[in-house]
Amino acid sequence: MSSAALASVSHVVRRYWAVALVVAGWQIWVSAAGLSSIVLPGPLAVLKDFAGDPLSYAEPAGRTFAVALAGLLLGFALGGGLAVLSWSSRILNGLLTPLGLIFTSIPVVTLIPIIARMLGYDVRTVIAIVALICFFPAFVYVGAGLRALPPGSDDLFRVFGGSRRQRFLRLVLPSSIPNLMLAFRLTAPEAVLAAVVAEFLMGTDGLGYMFRKAAGEFDTERALATSLIATITSVACFGLALAAERRVLRRWT
Amino acid sequence: MTSARSQSFVLGLIGVSLFLAAWEVIGTYRLAGLTWPPLSTVLAFLSTPARLPLFGRAAAASFTSVAIGYVCGGVGGLVLALASHLIAPVRPGLDRLVAVIHAIPSIALAPLLIVLASADATPPIISGLGVGYIFYVAATSGLATAGASHRDLFAVLGASRLSTALRLDLPSALPAIASAMKLSVPIAFIGAIIGEWFGASRGLGLLIVSAMQNFQIPLLWSAVLITAVASLSMFALFSLFERLVQERMR
Repeated sequence: MSSAALASVSHVVRRYWAVALVVAGWQIWVSAAGLSSIVLPGPLAVLKDFAGDPLSYAEPAGRTFAVALAGLLLGFALGGGLAVLSWSSRILNGLLTPLGLIFTSIPVVTLIPIIARMLGYDVRTVIAIVALICFFPAFVYVGAGLRALPPGSDDLFRVFGGSRRQRFLRLVLPSSIPNLMLAFRLTAPEAVLAAVVAEFLMGTDGLGYMFRKAAGEFDTERALATSLIATITSVACFGLALAAERRVLRRWT
Repeated sequence: MTSARSQSFVLGLIGVSLFLAAWEVIGTYRLAGLTWPPLSTVLAFLSTPARLPLFGRAAAASFTSVAIGYVCGGVGGLVLALASHLIAPVRPGLDRLVAVIHAIPSIALAPLLIVLASADATPPIISGLGVGYIFYVAATSGLATAGASHRDLFAVLGASRLSTALRLDLPSALPAIASAMKLSVPIAFIGAIIGEWFGASRGLGLLIVSAMQNFQIPLLWSAVLITAVASLSMFALFSLFERLVQERMR
């Protein structure tokens, strides 16, 4: 084995030994205790179920991903838009800031049943729920970014007689972009998880429904494989958002 | 300065009052349909003495789960963070493990926990996992914030690794830990409520989900309101604490 390959192996081992240990412990415990696969299948059995029919997971995963993305974008458009509005008016800002703070400090997930009851059990409801959960971080982070200007830059614009509009478009809006991307990275995985929870509670399409159906039929292997896919989707969203953030920041700074 | 602060306080008060008034008006005139009750209806529902035992039992069960999850998760996260700080080689592995556990949807963990532990142990465990994640992330970055000159001083005076960690790194991590204490409050509540959605025998989460399925609108809103107010008050308390710590550590 070449030294490069050896180095990459040791890199993977250093990063994933703890995860591997937990998975191995799970497999050994299931085999040793002789648990029935309805109670708790081992990781190998879960992987086998997934490998037997990987395409049946693709469609719900795609749906959940699309719904989470739609909700994420909607929530960011509304939250970011409101942050911009409240930047332009000191009174609006004063009125909205405490409300934003209040809603970030309560468990927003508990609002899912209220929205589900209001809008009905529907895909649109899932989008609305994801949008609501992404709305507050977007509002808070973009609002903070609109106020955190590079030191001295505001004076420079004033000295050169930049109008309020120019100041907003050329200075304030661009300097809020890093915060926007940070909020995007932090909420992207949460959006997927919120979509899965909403689908699970209401029994609409997607991974959440697939999980609920499998768990209801005591098909534990399928249920765990579904949650594996949901985890992968959530991690993939985080990765995508991180890549987007790095790309934007490279252009920006 | 004081006038600006009192002005923003008054504006904030008006904002919150407007929000509560909008809630009342939308409910009274049914602008959002029958499933949006006015605030006064919800408050009247909550303050009926006959319902006190119902809400009391549910809230006691949920808040116990939140407290157990919060304390165990916080201590666990801190201990793991200290371990990964003291034993550098284990750090990348622990980072990944914590991130992977955090990425597993809690609805997927809940059925597993019901099998492995029990239905009533699930809410505190999910709550603790969420809280532990925040504490771990905050503490690992906070433990690395001590200045180089302080570190050199400790090294020159021959402090052991452990005493450097306890007397220099841990105190300089306190602001980050105080932030984690505040930020993990809503996470602790979310964990307990989601855990209860999976067949706990009592609790606010159970009340919420059964009210949703049975169209008991005032009950649904009341249970959500209790949860929100509890989380909000605890959050406010820890914000004060965070400010105290930050002023003391500056």
